[in-house]
Amino acid sequence: MANYLTNTDSQVKEMLSAVGVSSLDELYADIPADLKLKKLEIEKGLSQQETLDEMKAMANKNTDYKVIMRGAGAYDHYIPSVVKYLSSRSEFLTAYTPYQAEMSQGILQSIFEYQTMICALTGMDVSNASVYSGATAAAEGVLMTKAGAKTEIIVSDNVNPRNLEVIKTYISQRGMTVTVIPSKNGETDLNALTAAVSEKTACVYTEQPNYYGIIEPATYIGEIAHSKGGKFIMNCNPMTLALLKTPKECGADIAVGDAQPFGLSMSFGGPFLGYMAANDKEVRKLPGRIVGETVDKEGNRAFVLTLQAREQHIRREKALSNICSNQAHCALVAGMYLSAMGTEGLKEVATTCLSLAHYAAEEFKKAGAELKYSGDFFHEFVTVTKAKASKINEKLKKEGILGGLELDKNEMLWCFTETVTKADIDKVADIIRRA
Amino acid sequence: MKLITEKSIAGQRCATIRPLEVKTETLEKSFLRSELKLPEVSEVTLARHYTELSRRAFGVDTGFYPLGSCTMKYNPKINEEVAGLEGFTHVHPLCEEEDVQGCMQAMYELTERLKAITGMDALTLEPAAGAHGEYVGLMLIAAYHKKRKDSKRTKIIVPDSAHGTNPASAVMAGFEVVNVPSDENQGVDIEALKKVVGDDTAALMLTNPTTLGLFEKNIKEITEIVHNAGGLVYYDGANLNAIMGVVRPGDMGFDVVHLNLHKTFSTPHGGGGPGSGPVGCKAILKDFLPGVVVELDKKGEYVFAKPSHTIGKVMPFFGNFGVCLKALAYIKTLGAEGIKEASQNAVLNANYIKKGIEDLYPTQTGRFCMHEFVISCDKLKAETGVAAMDIAKSMIDNGMHPPTMYFPLIVHEALMIEPTETESKETLDEAIAVLRKLHKEAYENPEQLKSAPHHAQIFRPDEVMAARKPVLKG
Repeated sequence: MANYLTNTDSQVKEMLSAVGVSSLDELYADIPADLKLKKLEIEKGLSQQETLDEMKAMANKNTDYKVIMRGAGAYDHYIPSVVKYLSSRSEFLTAYTPYQAEMSQGILQSIFEYQTMICALTGMDVSNASVYSGATAAAEGVLMTKAGAKTEIIVSDNVNPRNLEVIKTYISQRGMTVTVIPSKNGETDLNALTAAVSEKTACVYTEQPNYYGIIEPATYIGEIAHSKGGKFIMNCNPMTLALLKTPKECGADIAVGDAQPFGLSMSFGGPFLGYMAANDKEVRKLPGRIVGETVDKEGNRAFVLTLQAREQHIRREKALSNICSNQAHCALVAGMYLSAMGTEGLKEVATTCLSLAHYAAEEFKKAGAELKYSGDFFHEFVTVTKAKASKINEKLKKEGILGGLELDKNEMLWCFTETVTKADIDKVADIIRRA
Repeated sequence: MKLITEKSIAGQRCATIRPLEVKTETLEKSFLRSELKLPEVSEVTLARHYTELSRRAFGVDTGFYPLGSCTMKYNPKINEEVAGLEGFTHVHPLCEEEDVQGCMQAMYELTERLKAITGMDALTLEPAAGAHGEYVGLMLIAAYHKKRKDSKRTKIIVPDSAHGTNPASAVMAGFEVVNVPSDENQGVDIEALKKVVGDDTAALMLTNPTTLGLFEKNIKEITEIVHNAGGLVYYDGANLNAIMGVVRPGDMGFDVVHLNLHKTFSTPHGGGGPGSGPVGCKAILKDFLPGVVVELDKKGEYVFAKPSHTIGKVMPFFGNFGVCLKALAYIKTLGAEGIKEASQNAVLNANYIKKGIEDLYPTQTGRFCMHEFVISCDKLKAETGVAAMDIAKSMIDNGMHPPTMYFPLIVHEALMIEPTETESKETLDEAIAVLRKLHKEAYENPEQLKSAPHHAQIFRPDEVMAARKPVLKG
């Protein structure tokens, strides 16, 4: 019913006659008649008001969980109002990829600032302008390490299974293989890893914290990866990097991850924000857009898309990746979020997540749950309960709380962020006690 | 303009969170990082910084944006409101199906509508962008041939006018690329195609309308040639905005298609993403689709189903769900008749500008263009020294975003103009007037154009220096 067209019928007629036809159909003279569609089988258009009503009704069909205690790759964090409002300015939303530097300095600078902040967080030398998700960042990172006979990827079985699935898809046609080694007490088994790496190893891929929330012995993993000439890729939840050793300090060659925790809502899993950063040596292998600083002909500071000789629109089949668009608007949001939080604010958020998770773990233990693993954890951990996980979650649902992810019949993976209160945790502990 | 990091003053704070209610946990020293330096700014500094950045950005809401192949149509604001509904944004992706029936309904409804528009039997919303969709489509083709144990099919045929992502995606999916030249009408050269197809052909990738903005009249013959050789045909949906409701890729003989929701379905582009690149396919390929698809069961409930021979996942969850919501709101509002009108008017607007300038700027004549057309500044450059780039940069001085430059590669000094359906006659008339004026100026005062833009945020940046001595962070 609304079509967002602007011309009146008489203007359309005028334009048709200027073009030299009498109807819109004549413009499709090149399309063979027998191919033309008789009728498009979709509903009639609605008014905007009706559309909004229908979409609201759909949104209301989802269970309204007020409190989220689940992470596993998607995190519920507080989003400052200033981020929501400023990022929705339509100059940002309705721009294209900044090919024309002369009229896109705002977009280019926002990406450059994002790259700067990703480098600060990860300690790495360079960052790209972002990719589709943490999982595709991991997969693209893995592909960067293929070199000659080095085609094997080694991962521990404690990585996020969805990330591993995406990696497996990406390498399936690229002559790489993945070897999964069993973890020990939830952590990467350094002995098993040492035995597994060889001259064939292109990279060791590790997540920090790992899927079970445990802080990995990353420095040692990196040393083992490098011992046979392989690369070390770390996928870090960037929120934890407010406190944890950076990938650079752990010896990583490539750092990847999902920056969704920085101001992006969970939105049923997307859009999220894959970040990719690397050491200087890897920069020409790094896929995706990269923004660089230069000067214009009058010596003014200017930002441009740079190192484009790596990319598909120049290299075509010789390009290292087919990436064209990135997640520019998500990168803008993340940069805004990090600026809104600042150094101290981000540390405060991370410390709050860490502290609430440890408080929850203690309370859950007092309520009869056990922690499956004994290693140090950040803001996620796995419990084993006598009661079925599904039963606990059913009871939590009645309270409007989304409980931990069920990993097994009696095992749950929990996550705590600053959106959760002490009272929420006490309520859950009580439910576990009585379950 | 200063970077936000350069505006940082230690100790300034902006957003704040609830004070910690439990004991502060500290990590062992060996786990801790060295100093972290993020911007420290007040809220007013932050607000002014990003407002200034927004004023240094140019979107469809700022002005005319005839960027060929990118479909810079108006982005209805209802899209943003819908995607921002808390009932959608505050949903964790790892929930029981009964908890996310609303999200699943949205996915189902969008899937059904996109199938109807493309003439496909099945569709996935998982790919996050057009190039990601291409990759998925080609992986489906690889899986199809592999399942049939047809291991010789290692080649993807790509016309020389194709987008750069086509050959790059083919390589990502493990194929070799064979380029096929265009004929004198700048369509696929049928004879050349016949020579290259064979028992090693996995698929032909094509966009129709072509990158020159012309409808490939021989499309049925082309798809038949490839099918007869045992190959499949891939539709690059970059140019779908010309033909919605008029003709469908499925009816032209295509087996698999990717769409760009951020182009054709107005979601918007966001300065280069997030996009969404759904992939539709014929029944022969549906068992290979990635991730999960939503089905409606007999009880009227939405359920996830995993395709039996899936290529695996390409995104951690269900793709860019928030972007899909925007596309659904758009399609619901337009409906069957509005969708068709959008395409018809996109074609009318392109032909109207073409007609207004084709006496000055050589282009394909004697045929109607579809939603876009390509002009060549080759003659202009030879006679005045003014190149396509100079015309483009001069448009900036006239408050318009330049067209796509130097693409497709088969046209010298190319400018590709796509006005879209949402532009008014007044805007198109203005664009025509500007392009005519610039043509005149090229002969009278070429230096003025060669040094354009004169009224922009910056003048021509030194891209060589940017690449030779990369400065990639502040």
